[in-house]
Formats: sequence, structure tokens, C-alpha cells
Amino acid sequence: MNGFTAFFKKELLEAIRNYRVLILFSVTAIFGMMSPLTAKMMPDILANVGVEGMVLKIPEPTFIDAFTQFFKNFSQMGTVVLLLVFGGLLSQDLAKGTLIIPLSKGLSRHAVILAKYASALTLWTLSYVLAALINYGYTLYFFQTISVSHLFFSLFCLWLFGAFLLAFLLLASVVTRGAFGGLLVTAAGLGILLICQAIFRMDPFNPLKLVSENVALLTGKAAFDQLLNTAWSTCALILSTLILAMMLFKKKSI
Amino acid sequence: MNILEMRHISKNFGKHLVLNDLNFTVPEHSIFGLIGKNGAGKTTAMKMIMGFLKPTSGKILVCGENVAYGNTATNRFIGYLPDVPEFYGYMTAKEYLVMCGRITGLKKLQIHERVQELLPLVGLDGIKREIHSFSRGMKQRLGIAQALLNTPKLLICDEATSALDPQGRKEILDLLSVAADQTTVIFSTHILSDVERICDSIGLLHEGTLALHGKLSEVKNTYRKEAVRIETIDEVQARRLFEHLRTLSFIQSVETSQCAVTVQLHDPQKNGLKIIDLLSDEQIPITNYQLLEPTLENVFLDVIK
Repeated sequence: MNGFTAFFKKELLEAIRNYRVLILFSVTAIFGMMSPLTAKMMPDILANVGVEGMVLKIPEPTFIDAFTQFFKNFSQMGTVVLLLVFGGLLSQDLAKGTLIIPLSKGLSRHAVILAKYASALTLWTLSYVLAALINYGYTLYFFQTISVSHLFFSLFCLWLFGAFLLAFLLLASVVTRGAFGGLLVTAAGLGILLICQAIFRMDPFNPLKLVSENVALLTGKAAFDQLLNTAWSTCALILSTLILAMMLFKKKSI
Repeated sequence: MNILEMRHISKNFGKHLVLNDLNFTVPEHSIFGLIGKNGAGKTTAMKMIMGFLKPTSGKILVCGENVAYGNTATNRFIGYLPDVPEFYGYMTAKEYLVMCGRITGLKKLQIHERVQELLPLVGLDGIKREIHSFSRGMKQRLGIAQALLNTPKLLICDEATSALDPQGRKEILDLLSVAADQTTVIFSTHILSDVERICDSIGLLHEGTLALHGKLSEVKNTYRKEAVRIETIDEVQARRLFEHLRTLSFIQSVETSQCAVTVQLHDPQKNGLKIIDLLSDEQIPITNYQLLEPTLENVFLDVIK
């Protein structure tokens, strides 16, 4: 436990001093702000670029459009930012050899994995909550009303996907060598999930469903029960990914 | 009591056999120098003691406890200084030591006390810069501080001086001598003068096994060659001396290079006087007369021949 706390603090300090916190929080805050703003401005923007003689009929934007923008930003750019910010989470430590001294001081290898996951998850959660709050506030300001069911669950699904991504990244970094191995394998894994979703229709247990059905859930086009199942299976997947990462890391030559 | 026991340790990487049935023990309160060529398996052996590498076969005991690969509890007895220690560059020396102290399970007050002791000892007191701006020597000294933090029973230094300049090396060796008052030290290196300076016993790793093992003085005695080296003022005199010495019965062999003549002989104390008589009779002026002590370098080169 001593080791976990000490290493968790070290991870947070590292994220602050290496500007990872700054980058993550600024980008997510911008997403939170931009999403309702683009939704509100879209008709004006399109009207200005309208070609002469062509009449663009655009329906009045609603708060649903603001959330559509928010989910689109986070599921695409957000994933990329998350991977870039946390890509070297474990790989850097392994490649540079900075783990050798802490391990020689009796730090347990399980504590390394858990502390790294806990710290990354903390930062992801904080930045995401910040973005969601900003988005909510601006949406309320621009569109006055927000009345949907399952808004919280829909937001939770996207957060859970981030949590899954971080766990998978850790496992990939344990399995591979080099500073960018983990990042590449995670990107490849995401590609495989995409293929599974697009071609084989392996929907029910695919974590990608968590970031593709958010708006449909808000508008009542997607079934809450189905997504709940996916959320549960993703939780189980995160847990088993972490356990596997710890088991493999314990037997890794440093 | 033996702090460290290596029993029948073998290790191969694929087909390449690095250690082959390696056996040795290190008794308490000694400074043990593990020497060997580059690639002889010194770092491999040390990483196995730390549980970072798995031996192909054999058993390692630290303070009587078995070393388990992966998470090993025996590391609580050990302080480890890697050859090029890598730190978190964004921390200060003090922050790093505090983190290590927490990991190793010391109480807050103990950490504070140890850090106040160790930072002045390694000459990093009052330096508030982050570690990435440290020189190699400073990093190595910080490495010693972290290794000594939990007052270990065994201090393992892997090539601690190899990458340093003469001044940095001297600082590290002095620190290790001080540390050795309280702990047992294993010091691996290929710099033999460093070993002669601080170690009391040595092991020579060659072709996967210990080709030599014992107290430094005993090892040197075993390899003692009875030899005298005489330097004359010029090459002509050296040549004259060489011709005279060749005819003497107690001389085993004699060779000359430029102004110096090296002689192997029986009983150099007694027979050496006869050489001096010869020098005086033949009026050969000399600049230096020296009984040759065996150096570790000669022993080393002899063994790995």
C-alpha cells in the first residue's frame, strides 16, 4: 500500500510537471466549450458560405445538436488526445529504465500497474467531468432547455470507453517493448474493434458501441437495456485486462 | 554469516550461455569485487540477485532467504546502484529520495532523518535543481544515496565508476569505503585499480564461472612472480646488463626493452644482492631498481589467457 500511494503521487506529479495535465485539461475544456458553440453557430456559418442561387434550409439547432457535437468530438479527437497524452504511461518508464530503482526498493509490480491506471483514470475522469459540466452549462445558456432521458448514462458510456482504452493501453505496454509499442498495439486493437463493428456486426459486447450510440440513446432511438449490457461487459473487460496486465508484468524481465 | 550465496547458477539467452554453474558466497562486512571482461555476465548476475532476471537453473540466497523472480521480498535487504542509474528528471534529489523512502516503507520522520544524513554525505545538500540538469557524477552520487536509504545489509554496485571521470570515480570510491563500515558491498567493475583500492575479496568471472575467488591479498600471493625490474640510463647499458645477467645461474629468464631489463629469479631478496654486486663490478649506472609486486592486472590477464 505504501508503494501504491507513493507511486500514485509520483504519477500525478509527473503528469503535472510534464504538462500532460495542462494539455489534457485544455483540450477537453475546449471540446466542452466548442461543442454547444458550433451547434449554435452552424446555421450562421453555413448561411455565410452559401453559394448564390442555392437556398440552404437548415432546421433551427437544438440542444441535441450540442450533445451530438460533444460526443463526436470526444469519440474521435478525444480518443486520439487520450492516447497521445497517456501513450507513454508505462512504455516510457520501461524503455528509459526508470523503474529499476523503485522496483529495487521493494515496490511491488502490481502496485506499478494499479498506480499507473489509477492516476490516468483520475486525470481522465476529472478532465471529462470538467468538459461535461462546461458543455452542459453552455448548452443550457444557448438553448435554455435540456430535457432528455438517459443523459447521465450516455455521458457515462463515453467515460467508460476512456477507462477501457487506458486499461488496454497498459496491457499493450506490458506485452510490447520500446517506447511506442503500447501505443501502436492499442491503435491496432482499436482498428480491430472497428472492423468487428463494421463488418462482423459483433455489437453487443463491443466497447465501441459505448461511443457510437450516445446520441441515439438521448433521442430514444437506441435501447437503454442493450447499452447497459455493453457497459457491464466492458466493466468486466477492464477488470480482466488489468488482472492480465498485472500477471504478465510480474513475470516480465526488466 | 553469508550475506549472499549463489548456488549453481546458470543462465542462457537463447543458445548463448552467459553463466555456467556459478557458485560463490559473500560473507558479511566485506567489499567484494566482481571483475570480468565486458560481457562476462556481471550485470546478468546482479540483475538475478535483484530478481529482475530469472536464472535458467540454480538458487540465490540473500541473508538466508530465497530470491524469487519478479516480486522478491529479499530486496528489502538490498540497496542497488545500476551502472547508469535513471531517475525521474522532473524531480529534485530530495523529492526522489522521499519517494524512495515511502516505497520502501519508512516512516515520515525516518525518511526526513535519513535524507538529512544522506544528502550532505553525497554532496547534494542544498541543490534544488531538477535531476535532469545533473551531471553523471551527481546522478551516480544520488544513486548511492537512494541505495543507502533503507540502511541495506547488502549494497550492490554495478559498474558504478565505469562511466565517470577520475574525480567522479574517486568520490564514488570514497563513498563506498564509508558505506562499507555499515554494510556489505558487492562491486562489479572492469577497472582493476578501483578493485585494488577498496575491495578486500574478489571474484573473477570468466566464461560463465568464477575463475578466481578469494581474499585479494591471497590471490595476489598465489600469483606472485619473483621478478626485478632494473632501469639503466641508456640502451647500451641495458644491453650490457642483459648479456651479463644471461650467464648467471639463479636467473630464470631475462628480457630487455629500451632502457629497462626485467629479470625472473629465485629468491629475489638474496639473489638480488648479487645483481647489485654485478652492477657495481661492471660499473653499470642505473636509474631505478624495483622488486615487482604482482598487480591485479597481471593476475587478470594470466587467468583469462
